[in-house]
Amino acid sequence: MDFLMTTGRTIRQGSYVERKNTPSYRDEASCIRMNPVDMLELLVEEGDAVRVTGNGSSVVMRTKPDPMLPRGLVFVCLGPYANVLASPWTHGTGMPDFKTMPVSIEPTTDAPLPVSALMKECGGVPYED
Amino acid sequence: MRIEDVVCPFCGCLCDDLVVSVEGTKVLSVENGCTLATEKFTGDHRLAHPIRRTGGSWEKTTYDVAIRETAEILLDAERPLLYGWSGTFVEAQTIGVHLAELLGAVIDNTSTVCHGPSIMAIQEVGHPGCTLGQVKNRADVIVYWGANPIEAHPRHMSRYTTFADGFFVKSAFRDRKVIVVDIRETDSSEIADEFVKVTPGGDYAVLSALRMIVRGKGELVPEKVSGVTREQLFRVANICLSARFGAIFFGLGLTMSRGKYKNIRNAIELTEELNRHTKFTISPMRGHWNVYGSNEVFTWITGYPYAVDFSRGIAFYNPGETTSVDILRRKECDACLVVASDPGAHFPRACAGHLASIPTVQIDPHVNATTHLSRIQIPVAVTGIDAEGTAYRMDGVPIRTRQLFSTDYPDDVAVLGRIYSLVKEAKG
Repeated sequence: MDFLMTTGRTIRQGSYVERKNTPSYRDEASCIRMNPVDMLELLVEEGDAVRVTGNGSSVVMRTKPDPMLPRGLVFVCLGPYANVLASPWTHGTGMPDFKTMPVSIEPTTDAPLPVSALMKECGGVPYED
Repeated sequence: MRIEDVVCPFCGCLCDDLVVSVEGTKVLSVENGCTLATEKFTGDHRLAHPIRRTGGSWEKTTYDVAIRETAEILLDAERPLLYGWSGTFVEAQTIGVHLAELLGAVIDNTSTVCHGPSIMAIQEVGHPGCTLGQVKNRADVIVYWGANPIEAHPRHMSRYTTFADGFFVKSAFRDRKVIVVDIRETDSSEIADEFVKVTPGGDYAVLSALRMIVRGKGELVPEKVSGVTREQLFRVANICLSARFGAIFFGLGLTMSRGKYKNIRNAIELTEELNRHTKFTISPMRGHWNVYGSNEVFTWITGYPYAVDFSRGIAFYNPGETTSVDILRRKECDACLVVASDPGAHFPRACAGHLASIPTVQIDPHVNATTHLSRIQIPVAVTGIDAEGTAYRMDGVPIRTRQLFSTDYPDDVAVLGRIYSLVKEAKG
């Protein structure tokens, strides 16, 4: 199913921002909030994994119902999971379209990767503290 | 030991009324702070020593080796990028700008993916702003547009707006009207007197419609504008027009969505229209605690607030060309020094990939996403906890952060100063 993804801050993202190697940060940054009716149509429940695809890349996240979101709009806090899907084009402004990313979402049996593994996917070498 | 009037180095509010209890080098408790402040002060996830990567593995190294190799990487590069700066104090930012000039580098700060578009709009039409003290004591109408202060600036409402009584606003909760404009309901919109729900990408049109009403051309406004009814637009315009003092605060919902800096320009011009009838101001909700300071420092040294390119021997600024995301997308830079920020987490993946492919050095107290992309990381003291320095609050007021205790970590000035000296010596 196709959705519009938007990003922003959450208090939990801010709380864990200096502990990006921890499961708490991973759980918050890879949490995708959706309208419960959209979840029903996708046949997923809270905590189920979904593969989110956009801008030629995909990333696994876990769902969380959020009735405050309108149908068709999904929310992920800013961070490395949302940015897998962000285009680096800035329309000559320096600023990518972080707030409006067209994505498609499907259920998956995979689990969200830790941040270090995400960085490995783009050429990094994980450092475990 | 109980320390009063501590300044919080997390968000742009720079709250300066915290009471922190410390024992040795450990923070025991934080009073008055929000969740973010408590996590910041009590966090114990520091990188213990400098690290360097050789091939596919990491090893511990010394400050001397890490600093020398960093200087060599920067000297070897043809087009180095010095990025970040918003999470450190202005004295360190100053050394960064001088280092960039010496290297002929590009220096950019995090406003490039934050309020950079706001600055572009301000350069076009000016900034009718004011200090947060003015808002607290005078404003009877508050507008949060594309911002969710309860999650991003948790004490903004209790210190300056909705819940803060002021000299001319004796009972804030009753006397202040709060309008929230957003594409989704949030905790902030829940407590608003008026919530305006805009369809994504529709802010420019809604701002234009409000300007039409304020200018007396309301009869031309259609029944619905980007999901907002004509009736609600008139109601919002009337609340603003009946204000004695109104304050608009806007967030990344405007700077990052379609229209970008033109959205901000339209919001500033709405503020200007409202000022023909009453007093109105507009201010960005700055994120990093000292991102405003980086704009100040860059501007007072180079004339430009971010994305400054010294490759021509003079300062050159052209957002879209000299901005970090564009430089990384074009795979243009051949080395990167990241200071006090995390582009690995907050840039699009294509940009993170380029950081991994070039020698990237990070100066930061914590392990973050950029650590995994770097060749070297140098841990430093945390400003406001074990280092002190000046920062600028979101309204441009400079505030001196305090050192609560000493540790063995050098601060950003010490590390950057040594890198600068080595580069200066090599350049002659």
